Amino acid sequence: MTIAGRRLDFWTGVTGVVLAVLVVLLMIPIFRVMVLSFVDADTGNWTLGNYVEVFTRNFYLRGLKNTLFVGLLGTIGASLVGIPLAFFTARFHLWGRTWISTLAILVLVAPPFIGAYAWIMMLGSNGFVTNFFERLGIEIPTIYGAHGIILVFTLKFFPFVFLMTQTALMAVNKSFEDAAENLGCTPWQRFVKITLPLVFPAISTGAIICFVLSIADFGTPAILGRGFRTLSTIAFTAYRSELGGLPTMAVTVSMIMIAISMLALLAQRRILARRRYASGLTNLPVKMHLTGWQNIAVHLFCHGAVLIAMLPNLVVVYTSFLKTNGPVFVGGFGMESYARMWRQAPEAIGNSFLFALAAVALITIFSAFISYVIVRRETRAAGAIDFLMMVPYLVPGVVMAIGFVTTFRTGFLSGMGAAWLLILLYFIRRLPYGVRSTTSSLRQIKPSMEEAAINLGAPPLTAFLKVTLPLILPGLIVGSLMSFITAINELSGTLIIYDSGTLTMPVSIYLAVLDGEFGLAAALSTVLLLCTGACVFAVFRLAEKRESSFL
Amino acid sequence: MASVDITGLRKLYGDVVALSDINISIPSGAFYTLLGPSGCGKTTLLRTIAGFHDQDAGSISLDGNPIETLPAHRRDVGMVFQDYAIFPHISVRENVAFGLKQKKVPRAEMDRRVTEVLDVVQLGAFADRMPHELSGGQQQRVGLARAIVVRPKVLLMDEPLSNLDARLRVDLRAELRRIQKDLGITTIYVTHDQEEALAMSDTVCVMHQGVIQQAASPLDIYLMPANRFVATFVGANSFLALTRDTDQLRLTSGGALVSHKALGEQGETLVCAVRPEVLRVAPGEVQAAEDEVSIPAKLSNVSFIGREMEVLARTDSGEVVKSLARPDPAVIALDPGSAVSMCVRRDDLAFFEDSETGRRLA
Ligand SMILES: Nc1ncnc2c1ncn2[C@@H]1O[C@H](COP(=O)(O)OP(=O)(O)OP(=O)(O)O)[C@@H](O)[C@H]1O
Ligand SMILES: [Mg+2]
Repeated sequence: MTIAGRRLDFWTGVTGVVLAVLVVLLMIPIFRVMVLSFVDADTGNWTLGNYVEVFTRNFYLRGLKNTLFVGLLGTIGASLVGIPLAFFTARFHLWGRTWISTLAILVLVAPPFIGAYAWIMMLGSNGFVTNFFERLGIEIPTIYGAHGIILVFTLKFFPFVFLMTQTALMAVNKSFEDAAENLGCTPWQRFVKITLPLVFPAISTGAIICFVLSIADFGTPAILGRGFRTLSTIAFTAYRSELGGLPTMAVTVSMIMIAISMLALLAQRRILARRRYASGLTNLPVKMHLTGWQNIAVHLFCHGAVLIAMLPNLVVVYTSFLKTNGPVFVGGFGMESYARMWRQAPEAIGNSFLFALAAVALITIFSAFISYVIVRRETRAAGAIDFLMMVPYLVPGVVMAIGFVTTFRTGFLSGMGAAWLLILLYFIRRLPYGVRSTTSSLRQIKPSMEEAAINLGAPPLTAFLKVTLPLILPGLIVGSLMSFITAINELSGTLIIYDSGTLTMPVSIYLAVLDGEFGLAAALSTVLLLCTGACVFAVFRLAEKRESSFL
Repeated sequence: MASVDITGLRKLYGDVVALSDINISIPSGAFYTLLGPSGCGKTTLLRTIAGFHDQDAGSISLDGNPIETLPAHRRDVGMVFQDYAIFPHISVRENVAFGLKQKKVPRAEMDRRVTEVLDVVQLGAFADRMPHELSGGQQQRVGLARAIVVRPKVLLMDEPLSNLDARLRVDLRAELRRIQKDLGITTIYVTHDQEEALAMSDTVCVMHQGVIQQAASPLDIYLMPANRFVATFVGANSFLALTRDTDQLRLTSGGALVSHKALGEQGETLVCAVRPEVLRVAPGEVQAAEDEVSIPAKLSNVSFIGREMEVLARTDSGEVVKSLARPDPAVIALDPGSAVSMCVRRDDLAFFEDSETGRRLA
C-alpha cells in the first residue's frame, strides 16, 4: 500500500499516532478556546461581543496594558542584566565563572512562583527587610504592584538572555573584531558596531523567551499583584467566576494572550530573517584580564546579579528551618514546618511526583519517536509535527488548561478524572522540552546507522530500539529531566484543573502563601528546589553542552 | 548468490530525474561496477536496490523473483556503507553478529560464522574491540564482514574505499576482490574512480545524469567507448574537430586526412577522439608515416612524472591535446610555445557525433 507514492511502513503508523495525539491534546483544546471566544455566554449564539467587551471595558484594557507593561519592562530589565553579564563572562577572565553560570541555571529552573513569595518575605508589608528598615525609622516601598512584578521578572528571566548571548559571544569569530579594530574602531565602537549586531539574533531570541514567559506568568502577578491585574490573572479569575456557565470571557482573554505571544514571535522571525551570519570558528575569541577597579566592579556586578537572583531560593530554604507556631515564626530554628508539611501535605507531594513522573514517562516515549519522525522523515506530516512542537511554548498554562477543561469535561473523554487531565496537561505542555533535546541528539547520528541495521534484516522498530535509541539516550534523558523539572513545577494550569483529591506541591504552596502560611510554603518549596537541583546535577553529568541543555 | 535483473527503473526527486529507464542484467557471481561523475545517480540506484528509496517505476528481481515492493529489511541484499556505519555502542563481534541475530541463527552456529568471517577479513584479533578503537580501514573491513556474514544474495558497496588513503585503497581493493571471488557473491560496486572500476570489475556500467551510457567489460569500456561521454570519462581522450571533405574526413586543425570512409550523415559535425597513451610527441614538424596522422601544435606544458611524461599541447584551432609517452629529453627541454607534432596511428582514432553523449561511429 502506498500514500502519495510512499510505501506505508512502521514510521507512517507512528506519524499517524503522533499526529492524532497532537490533534486531540493540542489542536482541539486550543480550537475549543478559539471557538468559545466567539460564543455568547447567555444565548449560545455566535457573537463578536466578547472581543468588543475586552477592547472597550476599562477593566480588560487596563489588564492588557498592565500585561504589556510588565512584560516589556521585565524583558528590558532581563536584557539589561543579562547582556552585560554575558559580555563580561565571555570576554574577561572571571573568578568563579562556572559558579556564575550554575547559579544562573538554577535560577532559570527554580519554580517560578517561589521568587514572588520569597520577595514578599523580604520586602512585603511584614517582610524582614521592611521591618528592619522600619525599626531604623525608614519607610521603604513595598514589593507589591507593578514594580515588584518587574523586579521578579527581571531577576527570574535574565538567565535566558545571559546564557544565549554568552553562547553566541563565544562563537563570534574574533577576526571580525580584529578587523574593526584594525580599521580604527575604539573598543566601545567595536562593541556597538560589530559585536553587538553579530550576537543580536541570540539576544533577541533570549528576550523573546523572556517576553513570552512574562506574558504567560500567573504566579508572580497573582502573588504580588494586589489589585494590579494582568491578563493571566484576569483569565483565571474570569474562569473561576464563570464556573457553571460558559467561560467565554476567560477564553477571550486567553486568545488575546496567545495572539500577543504569536505576534512577538512573528516579529522576531521577521527581524531575524535578514540576519543570518554564518561564522566559521577559525579564530576563537580570547579573554582579557582586567585589573584594578574595573576588575572589582565587573566581579561585583556578575556575582551580585546571580546572587540576588538566587536570593529568593536561599531565603525559602532558610525560612523552612525557622521555628514556627502555626503560621507564626516564633524565633530560632526548628523543623515544625516540615512536620506540618508531613501532616498536611503528604498527598500533595505524592501527587506531584505521580503526575510529573507519569507525564515524563509519556514524554520520554513520545520524544524518542517524535524526534525520529522529525529528523528522519521528510514528509509533510513530519514538518507539521515539528511546527506543532512550538505551539506549547506559546500557549500560556492557564489557556491550555481552560482548553482542556472545556474540551474534556464533555464529550468522549468526559469520564477522565482530574488526575488524568493533569497528567495529560503536563505531558502536552512539557513535551517540547523532551523532543528538542532528543532531536538535537539524533541530528548528530548518521542515518546510515539505522539503514545498516535495516539492511541486516532488522525491521524498522527493532532497528530503532537496538541502534538509534542507545545512541540518542543521553539526549533523551536530558530532555526527560528538563521536562520533569518543568512538569513538577507547573502551577497555572494545575490551578484551573485540580480538585480536592489532586492537590500538587505548587498548588499547596500557592494556597499556603495566600493564607500567609509561609513556613509550610517554604518547606514544600524546599522539597521542590531539592528535586530541581538533583535533576540539574544529573543533566550536568550527562549533557555535553551543559548550558544549552536548559534553554 | 543470485542474478540481478533491473528493468525500466525510474526514480524522481520532485522534478529532478535521478534515474531514468535503468535496465541492468547481472549474472550470478559477477562483480558489477557503477561508474560515473558526482551526482549521476549511482548512490540513488544502489539505495533503491537496497530498498531505502521507493522507485517511481520499474522492477528489480533477484533470481527472477521481484523484490521492489519488499521493505528494506526483507530484501536479503547486504550493503557496505561509505561511512562504514559501524554501530558505535557495541563491539566488533556484536556488530558482525547483528544480522545473524535478526535471522535467529542458533548461538553455536552464530559464534562459528562470526569467527570465520572475521578471519576472512583478517580481524580475528580485534573481535572484542569497540569500533572507536579501530582504524578507518579496519572499520571498513568490519562493515564488509557484517554484510557478508549473513550470506546475502547480493552485496552492495557504495564507494567503500573513498574515505581511505591512496595506498590502503589499492591494498584493500585487491582484498575485496579476492574475498568476493572466494565467496562468489554477486556484487554491485559504486565508485567514481575509473582506475578502481577497471581494476576490479567483470562489468563496468558508466552512468551520466541518471542514464546508463554503456555497460561492458573494462577492456571494451576503455578501448571501445560507446559514446563521447564514456570516452571523456574513462579514457581521458582528447577531442579534435573534423571537417568533411566530400567523402573524406580531415582534421580541422592541420588538415590531416583521418578517414577515407564516409562516416555519419552529411551536415553532421563529428569529432575524433584520441587517448593520451597512443599519441607520440616530437619537436618541430614531422612528416607522418603512411598509417599515421601528424597534428601540428604548440606546446603548453610538459611534466615529467617519472615513468612517463605528460604533454599538453594546443592545436591551431585551440583544442587541448594530452599525451602520455616515454620520457623524451628532447621534448622535456622544449620551452612552452614551441612547435611540436603529435603523431597517432589512424587505427587508434575513434569518431563520435559532436555532442556530450554523441554516438560512436564505426
Ligand atoms: N534526497 C534527495 N532529494 C533530492 N535530490 C536528491 C536527493 N538525493 C540525491 N538527489 C539528487 O539526485 C541526483 C543523484 O544523486 P546521487 O546521490 O545518486 O549521486 P551519486 O552518483 O551517488 O553522486 P556522488 O558520486 O557524489 O555520491 C543528484 O542530482 C542529487 O542532487
Ligand atoms: Mg554517492
